[in-house]
Amino acid sequence: MVDLIQVAVSGILLGGIYALLSVGLTLIFGVVRIINFAHGELLMIGMYLSYLIFVSIGLNPYYSVILVAPALFVIGVIIQRLVIQPIQEASAMMKVFATCGLFIVLQNLALMIFRGDYRTIQMDISMAALNISGVSISIPRLVAFAAAVVIFGVLYLMLKHTYVGKALRAVAENRSMAQLMGIRVQRLNMLAFGLGSALTGIAGAFLSPFTSVFPTIGGTYTLVAFVIVVLGGLGNMVGAFLGGLFIGLIESFSGTYISSALKEATYFVIFILILLVRPQGLFGMGKGTEEVGLK
Amino acid sequence: MKRFLSLMLLLFLLFIPLFVESPFTLHMLILIFFYIALSVAWNILSLSGNVSLGHCAFFGLAAYTSAILVIKLGVLPWFGLPAGIGMALLGATAMSLPMLRLRGPMFSLATIAFGEVLRQVAVTWRSLTAGSEGLTIPFETGWLVLQFPTKVPFYYIFLVLAAVSTFISYRIYYSAVGYHLRAAAADAEAAQSLGINTSRVQMIALYWSAGITGALGVFFTQYVYMIEPEWAFSMMLFSVQPVLNGIIGGIGTVFGPVLGAILMTPLGEYLRSYLGTLHQGFNFFVYGLILIGVVMAAPKGIFPALVPFLKAKGWMQNRRSETDVSSSSFRR
Repeated sequence: MVDLIQVAVSGILLGGIYALLSVGLTLIFGVVRIINFAHGELLMIGMYLSYLIFVSIGLNPYYSVILVAPALFVIGVIIQRLVIQPIQEASAMMKVFATCGLFIVLQNLALMIFRGDYRTIQMDISMAALNISGVSISIPRLVAFAAAVVIFGVLYLMLKHTYVGKALRAVAENRSMAQLMGIRVQRLNMLAFGLGSALTGIAGAFLSPFTSVFPTIGGTYTLVAFVIVVLGGLGNMVGAFLGGLFIGLIESFSGTYISSALKEATYFVIFILILLVRPQGLFGMGKGTEEVGLK
Repeated sequence: MKRFLSLMLLLFLLFIPLFVESPFTLHMLILIFFYIALSVAWNILSLSGNVSLGHCAFFGLAAYTSAILVIKLGVLPWFGLPAGIGMALLGATAMSLPMLRLRGPMFSLATIAFGEVLRQVAVTWRSLTAGSEGLTIPFETGWLVLQFPTKVPFYYIFLVLAAVSTFISYRIYYSAVGYHLRAAAADAEAAQSLGINTSRVQMIALYWSAGITGALGVFFTQYVYMIEPEWAFSMMLFSVQPVLNGIIGGIGTVFGPVLGAILMTPLGEYLRSYLGTLHQGFNFFVYGLILIGVVMAAPKGIFPALVPFLKAKGWMQNRRSETDVSSSSFRR
């Protein structure tokens, strides 16, 4: 029983990071309507930035996230402006190629700069754990989970109650109508891509104290994020958050009871199963899902 | 004129090994033929509007099947070939599940995952594949074991593969299935309402595409006589490269991918040998930039731009043509 609780707890905690990552992806999808194949690469950039700041000035990722998040926001805005915006009206096929090209560019840029080595942030807290009646809770994972919950809460309130948040939701709901109402859609696209990237960068920063970073790390996370987003219903924020926790649990259990080497295979099977059984996701789809090929 | 030129080209290609001795040049030509065939095979599926980013799955499945049969059971590669193609077709059957349910980016994503998962399985299943260490095909020579002391026989093998694949693609393109495919790509619902069984034609395209890719996997593994997961299931080499060739040459045309492969393979080798040694990853970095650049600047590729010229010269028939139906759907 203690074992089961242990596995469940580490799953949920890991799920916090996944949730943040997926909320970023689903925000970008919902507003900009692009399937971003380079999403995991944004996480990778966040992790490398945290690493660089840590080794150069010794600032730990929990503080440096204040720098990493805006940096990723800027990167996201630049990507939206330079790559996505010019092809906004192109076919779905061309958008696949463009973001796939972006993924190749970013991954290999990291390979050029950092080589293929695994980089790890060594902190005292990395290995620390709380022990509650036999169940050990890793401190960095707990911190990451707490941060994910807080940030998601802030984002949710922002989308619900602020003017910008309402405008973002309006664009997600109906782009052309929003434009007619005087909302500057191009600007909001940049904002959404920036916000989504920043969330992903934050996920990367909180992941870095307990996970090594290497140039090809992004691919796995892109896949995870998509599985979660499809599970939660494309464009559905709350769905993405809950889906993240759920996939964290699945990964934890399959890693313990099946094989951790085959975790991507597990995701893929889940992905296919969801698509076959309930393509609209567990919590219903957002708008515009048909545009990206969920029949 | 057209026939005369084709004949000259064929003769020229047949006689090249008689006066070219440099193994480097032959290797380059073999690679070009290989990529022509691979890009053409990928393009057959893309006629249906489905962008696969997981063709390395078919390549790797067939390559591993044949290599394992050859190495562990001493089977001749000629028997490994149908077994390999069979495995590729099985893989295609698995890929058809997402294909028939998804369109566009979501399908592409599923195909990436498919290739990745197979790579992981190949790394993990050490008793069968020897994991990351890889397997080496024992060196004997002769047509029976498909191993040769020189590159010349492989030159002819890949020349034939490239020619046959292009011929198959040409036949499909101008068959009823080809028109149905393009109709399905342009508007699936409209095609269905006209009585086209879009699932069936998509499956046909997928099976041809996967089968040819599988055959290439078997032959190419015989050529390099070594196999390991990172290579056999390499997304860059066998999934992204044909996409790049296709889009640069002209996606959804018969000869676009051929043209793309002829242009991109030497460039790719140059980038790999000069930039790749300078900085690991530099060559693929440039590839990514090219991919983005082409999408933004010339999404139709080179071949459609050449079509009016070819027609004016009478080198291309005025059939219902290379660009109208298909590319309109890709532009949408």
